Amino acid sequence: MKRLDILLVVLVLGVAAVLYGVTMGSAKQGGVAVVTVDGEVKKELPLSQDTVYHLETEKGYNIIEIKEGKAKVIEADCRDGLCTEQKSISKTGESIVCLPHKTVVRVIDAQEQDVDMVVE
Amino acid sequence: MESKKVAQYGLFATLAILMGYVEMLIPLPLFVPGMKLGLANVVIVVVLYHMGTKPAFYISLVRVVLSGLLFAGFAGLLYSLAGALCSLGVMAALKKTGKCSIAGVSIMGGVFHNVGQIIVAALVVENIKIAYYLPFLLVTGVVTGFLIGFVAKLTLPYLHRR
Repeated sequence: MKRLDILLVVLVLGVAAVLYGVTMGSAKQGGVAVVTVDGEVKKELPLSQDTVYHLETEKGYNIIEIKEGKAKVIEADCRDGLCTEQKSISKTGESIVCLPHKTVVRVIDAQEQDVDMVVE
Repeated sequence: MESKKVAQYGLFATLAILMGYVEMLIPLPLFVPGMKLGLANVVIVVVLYHMGTKPAFYISLVRVVLSGLLFAGFAGLLYSLAGALCSLGVMAALKKTGKCSIAGVSIMGGVFHNVGQIIVAALVVENIKIAYYLPFLLVTGVVTGFLIGFVAKLTLPYLHRR
């Protein structure tokens, strides 16, 4: 290991720590899980209400479960199934992503709605 | 092109594709979705040091396209391509400065592989919030990059001997 190596590693870890701080620092227990497909809002699910939402996209389906204030993708027919392996989310800014279906589930603050329009 | 070179290209490309396949067979504890060991990068790093930047570029390209078509499908191909090119570009540049050891080059390669993929992912789903995963991927990139640099360093003396 040379000096530049160590410098670069420290730099990368520093950036990671700062990014982590920024994303986690602004996080709080969120109010609403917003489901988007290809950038388009499909459904808003309040985290306070236990429910199971069946999402149909052009590419396939994702089943999203809201339970005890947390959102999770419990089932999907996408190729890799990575979305079902992701942890359940409850804080603002956290998200679950299903790339094959272009589906994103994101938790936002119930007060500050940052969506322009809801298309059902 | 010498026939020896042709054979070398073919051998390394095959190895890189196989490494990618072997990696899929190894289940990793999923701390972070999308986290990978990056075994194929061992071959790319070895080629970069043994044969040079251009061969590494071609072999990386062949690997990504072929393993994309064989295993991942077209959507996955875009992510792999972005990751591979981003990673190789940074590795080649760092190697050229001559101030980095093979471990450092490999670490930055691992890190930028993830950065490239995140950028494409953010563009595809049009949601910058994916960057939420970046801190985790940066750290795993450092760890796996270090391991891969270590393996490549052990491999190279055997190649140089002939």
